[in-house]
Amino acid sequence: MEKGSKEKLKIGIYELTGCAGDALLILDCEQELIDMFKAADIQSFLMAKSDNIDGELDVALVEGSVSTEMEKEELLDIRKRANTVVAIGICACFGGIQAAFLDKKDWEKNFKKVYGDNKMTHTKPLQSKPIDAYIKVDYYLPGCPIGKEQFLSTFNRILRGHPPELYRFPVCVECKWNENDCLLNKGIPCLGPITRAGCGSICINHNLPCVGCWGPVEEANLTSEFHLLREKGFDYDFIKKKMANFSGTGMADFLGELKGEKK
Amino acid sequence: MKKISVDHLARVEGNGGISATIDGKIVTDVKFSIYEGPRLVERLTVGKTPEEDVNIVPRICAICSVSHKYAVLKAMENALSVKVSPKVSLFRELMHLGEMIESHSLHLYYLALPDYVGFPNAIAMAAKFDLEVKIALEMKEFGNHIMKTASGRYIHGENPVIGGFGKFPSIEELIWIKSRAVQFMPFVLKTTSLFCELDYPDCPEDDTVFACCNPDQNKYGFAGDEIILSTGDTINKEDYKSLANEFVVSHSYAKHSRYKGEPYSVGALARVNNLGERLKWEAGKMYKKYFNPRWKKNPLFNNAAQALEILYVFERIPKIIDKMLKLPDPAIVLSKKKEGKGTGIVEAPRGLLIHSYEISGGLVSYTDIITPTAQNAEDIERYCYIAAQKLLDKGKESKIRDRMDLVVRAYDPCISCSAHMAEIKKAPLDDWRTKLDGIIKKGSPIFVGIGRGNRSDDRAGLELALELRKQGVTDVWLESEIIEVEVPWKNKPHRPLVFIDALDFKEKPGKTILLPLHYIFSNTVLSHKLLPFISSDMGYERLKNSFVLGIQPESIEEGMKISEPVRQALEKVLEQIMN
Repeated sequence: MEKGSKEKLKIGIYELTGCAGDALLILDCEQELIDMFKAADIQSFLMAKSDNIDGELDVALVEGSVSTEMEKEELLDIRKRANTVVAIGICACFGGIQAAFLDKKDWEKNFKKVYGDNKMTHTKPLQSKPIDAYIKVDYYLPGCPIGKEQFLSTFNRILRGHPPELYRFPVCVECKWNENDCLLNKGIPCLGPITRAGCGSICINHNLPCVGCWGPVEEANLTSEFHLLREKGFDYDFIKKKMANFSGTGMADFLGELKGEKK
Repeated sequence: MKKISVDHLARVEGNGGISATIDGKIVTDVKFSIYEGPRLVERLTVGKTPEEDVNIVPRICAICSVSHKYAVLKAMENALSVKVSPKVSLFRELMHLGEMIESHSLHLYYLALPDYVGFPNAIAMAAKFDLEVKIALEMKEFGNHIMKTASGRYIHGENPVIGGFGKFPSIEELIWIKSRAVQFMPFVLKTTSLFCELDYPDCPEDDTVFACCNPDQNKYGFAGDEIILSTGDTINKEDYKSLANEFVVSHSYAKHSRYKGEPYSVGALARVNNLGERLKWEAGKMYKKYFNPRWKKNPLFNNAAQALEILYVFERIPKIIDKMLKLPDPAIVLSKKKEGKGTGIVEAPRGLLIHSYEISGGLVSYTDIITPTAQNAEDIERYCYIAAQKLLDKGKESKIRDRMDLVVRAYDPCISCSAHMAEIKKAPLDDWRTKLDGIIKKGSPIFVGIGRGNRSDDRAGLELALELRKQGVTDVWLESEIIEVEVPWKNKPHRPLVFIDALDFKEKPGKTILLPLHYIFSNTVLSHKLLPFISSDMGYERLKNSFVLGIQPESIEEGMKISEPVRQALEKVLEQIMN
């Protein structure tokens, strides 16, 4: 990216396997959308336009997990064409809900249950993985879906050639800003302490526990959360499942370690 | 089709496309494909608690996330015998109407309208339709605002839970939503007229069956406990598989049969066609003004139906809010039940959505989710085929791509798909060879030779059948040997069926094509001879696994010999089969 250049940055927005919620959230920036299209040269955005070009890019925003051979190839191609790659949403960052089968055999067994022996002719299925399983990712913008505020701030900073500034603390911090009562103190299983902030502690604001949908925060004290929930009377399987629901491959190692804790 | 019908597990909203293969003057293949990777959502919910399941399954699709939430809650509450209070039902309906506004306005203004006024996207369209695009954005934002109020955020909000809501909105918030809905009415009325008056092309047009939820008390709406069909039949939600199963297994394409056997369409057009007479207020007036019989045949009118629904929604919102204001905020209803079975059906913006679960030992043990786009896939292919063949007949091949795009987009099959390009493929030379090989590999086919023995090239099918028999191929039949009560393909649903016939498709004599049998129905030139063979007991599965190998005759005059080009073609086909 040349500084001071008047050329608009070339940006591509891509969707792999997921719910398309992150791309949809970008469309949901109703007030800012037209300005966004003016400020940058949006080269490719399947959800919004049909005249898409797959050429050299300054920035590629990639949503979704890699779940087929074709997507893997597409992703490798995007990496080649783009200076900067940003993973948007938990599917791209951690693999998302569909990466909950950590064990390959388990995944294969379930794949067979759903699709039987039908051969998929168009492209080979792959066990869902986050995009950094295949390419180098420059920045991560988590969320399920991503938050409007963080997205717009990231988008603006990238347009100006700056790295994005993301929250590196858990939901609990935002929850305190919002002056909520701690649900864990009431014995409700809340994943706020280990989940990345940015949603504005939305569930706790609604008197509901955090389900962990933004994925694990860096440096989360997973062991401590696990023991806290044990103390509150929840069993091993329940906790493990709860922690795994949205973390994709993001806490695979920890969940593996947990096996020793069962007895 | 089987491939697509299971793809609802993968989310169908993402990568997809439609392709048509053209061989001379015949469309030999139309495929609506979904390239989204497998997510196995129905499997990864197994073993979760009902509460966790409610968090996870809406992630199937962002644009319909509220409908998924609504359907899973209804299913779970049925399974766990939870009865929610009227205020909860009203608030859920409001949340759902928010999604209708958001999704319909996104589709109509961002995705559909640019096609009709000639722009590649809505942002470019803004140069000419500045005011419309801006107000439409406001309207979409209003839909989002309602969803945020009810569910917590625009997409994947967690406020709706089994037994109620985490939090109810303030009185001020409700009054604001009501007044905003009233303020929008002039633009909403304009939107309805705009989309009802668009000049929709008359190709493709054909009858189909429409299915949607049947709301209680003979009202219009987006939820209910039974499914209503345009045939007049109704199906209880617990029996939803009789709709789906009939469709997959025993349905027939036969034009004379317009009952359950046909593929069906779901969505706004299905709702307006089935329930439009129930519309009241301004929406009722607009319905009476614009509705005409073409709505029942032409999928492009889905755009008009969506616009009519936006009007209904804006008139319904103030009434819901007036009721909500009179009721206290109820606490969440809890259930101690650990076992149960339950189904929930709602209308997603793009059609009937079914969630069904079994719970044992307090955990989900079975999940079945049927999405609207999976149900529409078959009709999308069919209408695209009709459009492609009709345009080809009129010599307008260059228009096929755009028209198929228009048809797919009209179904609003979730947004990513609808911005994809349609693709036209030229069939490679001797395309029939590869296809025939594929059929033979699938399972040894049953061959049926068709024709009349005394009419030169018309006897091509019979000649080939006799030659195949001579060479020792089993299960080869002649037209005259087929008796309706004991057809040779009976009880053999997995073996492909290939009719061999001289087909006049206006090509060079001897040219050979292979195409799915059901394409014959929409092609009047080809259909007259084969139709009687397609007996009504030829189920859907059977039809999908049946083909026609056609050879262009030179002459079908009485008493003549088989012409040289056809003779050569027969030899090639024979060689291919014997290899």
